[in-house]
Amino acid sequence: MSNTSEKNTSYIGKTPIRVDAYDKATGKGLYAADYTKFIPGLLHVRVLRSPVAHCQITKLDVTKAEAIPGVERIFTVERSPFHMERLPEQDRFPINGECIWAGQPIAIIAADTMEHAEDAMNAIELEYTQLPHVIDGFSAMGKNPVSIIDPASGKGDGVIDETNPWAKIGKGATLDSKFSGPNIVGNYILNKGNVEEAMAKADIVVEDSFYNDRRVHCQLERAVSICTYNSDDSITLYGSGCGVHGVIKSAMVNIFDLPETKVRSIQPYIGGSFGNRLNPYVEVLVAMISLFLKKSCMYEYTREEQFTGGPHAWPCLTRVKFGATKDGRVIAQDYDCVEEVGAIQNNISYTGRLSSSGAVCVYDIDNIYMDTAAVVTNLMPVGPYRGLGCPESEFGMECMMNVLADELGMSAVDVRKKNFIKNGGYNGYGEKVTSIGVEKCLEECAKKIDLDTPSVQDGSVWKKGKGCGCGGKQNTPLGRAESIVRYYSDSSVEVLISCDENGMGAMTVMAQIAASELQVPIEKVKVIKGDTVLTPFDNYSASSRTTYTTGNAVKIACAEVMDKLQEAAAREVGVHKSKVVIEGTKARILGSDIEYIELSTLFKNTSPYDQGNWGLMRFSPVEGHGLFCPAPIRSWGSDGLTSRMWNWFQYAACALEVAVNEETGQIKLVQVACSADTGNPINPKMVEGQIEGGVILAAGYDIQEGCTYDEKTGAVKNAGLVDYRVADMTFAPLQENFHSLINPDPLPDGPYGAKGMAESITIGIGPAIAEGVYKAVGVRPTKFPMTAEYILGLIKEKKAKEAQK
Amino acid sequence: MSILDRSIVVSFEVNGKPVELITAPNRTLVEVLREDLGLTGVKQGCDDSNCGVCTVIMDGKAVKSCCVLIGQAEGTKITTIEGLEGENGLHPIQQAFIDHFAIQCGYCTPGMILSAKALLDENPNATEEDIREALHGNICRCTGYKKIVEAIEAARDEINAQA
Repeated sequence: MSNTSEKNTSYIGKTPIRVDAYDKATGKGLYAADYTKFIPGLLHVRVLRSPVAHCQITKLDVTKAEAIPGVERIFTVERSPFHMERLPEQDRFPINGECIWAGQPIAIIAADTMEHAEDAMNAIELEYTQLPHVIDGFSAMGKNPVSIIDPASGKGDGVIDETNPWAKIGKGATLDSKFSGPNIVGNYILNKGNVEEAMAKADIVVEDSFYNDRRVHCQLERAVSICTYNSDDSITLYGSGCGVHGVIKSAMVNIFDLPETKVRSIQPYIGGSFGNRLNPYVEVLVAMISLFLKKSCMYEYTREEQFTGGPHAWPCLTRVKFGATKDGRVIAQDYDCVEEVGAIQNNISYTGRLSSSGAVCVYDIDNIYMDTAAVVTNLMPVGPYRGLGCPESEFGMECMMNVLADELGMSAVDVRKKNFIKNGGYNGYGEKVTSIGVEKCLEECAKKIDLDTPSVQDGSVWKKGKGCGCGGKQNTPLGRAESIVRYYSDSSVEVLISCDENGMGAMTVMAQIAASELQVPIEKVKVIKGDTVLTPFDNYSASSRTTYTTGNAVKIACAEVMDKLQEAAAREVGVHKSKVVIEGTKARILGSDIEYIELSTLFKNTSPYDQGNWGLMRFSPVEGHGLFCPAPIRSWGSDGLTSRMWNWFQYAACALEVAVNEETGQIKLVQVACSADTGNPINPKMVEGQIEGGVILAAGYDIQEGCTYDEKTGAVKNAGLVDYRVADMTFAPLQENFHSLINPDPLPDGPYGAKGMAESITIGIGPAIAEGVYKAVGVRPTKFPMTAEYILGLIKEKKAKEAQK
Repeated sequence: MSILDRSIVVSFEVNGKPVELITAPNRTLVEVLREDLGLTGVKQGCDDSNCGVCTVIMDGKAVKSCCVLIGQAEGTKITTIEGLEGENGLHPIQQAFIDHFAIQCGYCTPGMILSAKALLDENPNATEEDIREALHGNICRCTGYKKIVEAIEAARDEINAQA
């Protein structure tokens, strides 16, 4: 039997096609809502939400609504056996009838059809008195804000509700922070070296403040969950949510006090997440209804509801002050960062730490003082979004690097090269950095678009300019991952995993790893994922960690399989397993007259005469189990420093050219080069896809996406894709002007030196655009989105100033 | 009024097969395709024709099926993603999307492929600019569009080479 085609089975760094591509190209792959065709009789769910940001409900009568034929039940805080006012963030119902954000759920309707559910929603009698609200972080931070939003109780007395498990997190901070108003819910201070002294010694000091608007993830598949109620009083959830074990099942077990065996969570294909679906908001509501009514139901958000009832991405309000020597070395960083987190301090316990982690991981600065906080407002509670606050927190950092370069008359690349952390060096926390490829990334991008050569102007109203930006993002060490790998007699392989496949290609990466480790063609590997009764524990895929954590787990499981195969071959021949080398589908034996043995022959048949076989058998695969956990963290000291808080850092850089219409303020992307330090890429084509997708997603919100609010009601005005403009195909640069590059610095503990990369891409884009705008029309944006209105305003302001001179 | 008085009879063709059904007139084409005909390759993402994931081909034109009332489908010929794979395998656009990594989460893919097919059927020599113009109603949140355009250009060349 020829074995040559199976010898070259290393798929690492190669680009086999995605294992899910056929399913998705043909429409055969199922997403959660598609399961309704197999599950008849589902109840449909609608939610009545607060129309205003802050109000006291004076009347809530569901009698008429519940009398509508087909309406099964309407739940409110008073009409539910569950503590609906204690549910996690987006699902939290009002306490004592006080709504604290527009979109807060007030009543849930379960009915036989969507039409009946909507009729009932409209028939609920709701009356309320509007109360003063605060819908921006700046106003909320004051000492006497018009609205005080206590995340624990909805009341402003600051008394912590001891019975609420979420209430105490982040409260009671004793740090000497400049942020201390009644809406400040958490603080963090990092103090390294002596910033004051260093700043005094600096040849040049630059300083500015920055902020950004709220954004919504806009993954194309809306939040959906189907919950079936089963004959043994268990529930099964099919949904678009992430983390079948670590998020969804654990939430159900904890919130509804269910035995761990009574919840099954299944994740079909997911139509994107970008962090949005890390919060189990639809899942909790369908489970509550199913458990109470003992019936199956489904809840699918409308697109509008993704804006009014799903987590938003949090804005950061930052102030950056650099002190530098005249040759461009930054010696002091004085930095403030406030996360505006909406009406609920959730279990992430916002303190500013998450976002500000981006401000200390790229540059090697001896003296850093960082004062951070989280502030609550009467807005939708936030959730993670690609980058976990780093694109927001680093916007100012990178803008100021560009300002520093311009002030010193240096190139933006050279200034950064003077300050980058080097591999083996330490970041601002005091963590040793073992993989950092940012310098190479930046150099390549700059070269690709010839950054140091000014743009050629064509005399039209479109002025061009170039800019660059870098980014670093931590990996949160929460990723316990397990894997089961099964090797069958015909050398076909099953890989069982529970990481999420949001579209990034996790299933393909795991198939590549298993095929490489087990030396089989990738076509023989079947990846089975996301079903809590079948696939082993995985916390959830977030923080770009899937390749690292689940990838390591698959590799470990494969090693166990190989060990068992060696053992079986060794016993068959009569040698120690150390004398067996697996080569494709054969075992090579050292020190025996039997040189090779086909692995398939180790698996015995299952005839009635072979029942007593304790060895390997057909249909009973060799199974390996892999468990991988990042090393434990060390808590922050009183100075905010730590030798290990994050796992590793991903880096990216970007250089681009924009065209700015000086009459309208509109920005267009002319050319973009973006590079990622991925560690060693497992599948470079999929990495390119992450780079290109990250560039357009970020450029979209840097230029045109952002929630706008009705001042009177405090509700989102542009709740839908008509007025909230997601980047379309014409927004992207032309093909020949759009470059994705990979510059790996291998991560020692990553599988094959790989690490995650998809979030860092988004960080450098905004600052690069801002610098491009400055080079094009001479104004410096300090916030995003850099809408046409905003840029035109800056241009007019500049012209007015020049006219005064 | 009986249920029949409140219903309409609609006949049309889906993926080459005749369909005749009695349904409420306020339903949309996407609802009928997904719920009555089980064609779940047609996705739903917004309800106001701004995302493009429900795109199907109706009498040769790419349309957003969330904004087609079922009565408007009377007498038309409709192609969904389920109708593209033939006896000879995948349609060249489908194959190109796979080969060029133009698919990530896959939710926009059926609509994207059908918009591309409608374009190439009408204009076999569509340029990059034509593709951008024709497909800008199909949103993709994952890929940044580059590999999608690349796939459509490759499929165009493949189809033209076969012709």
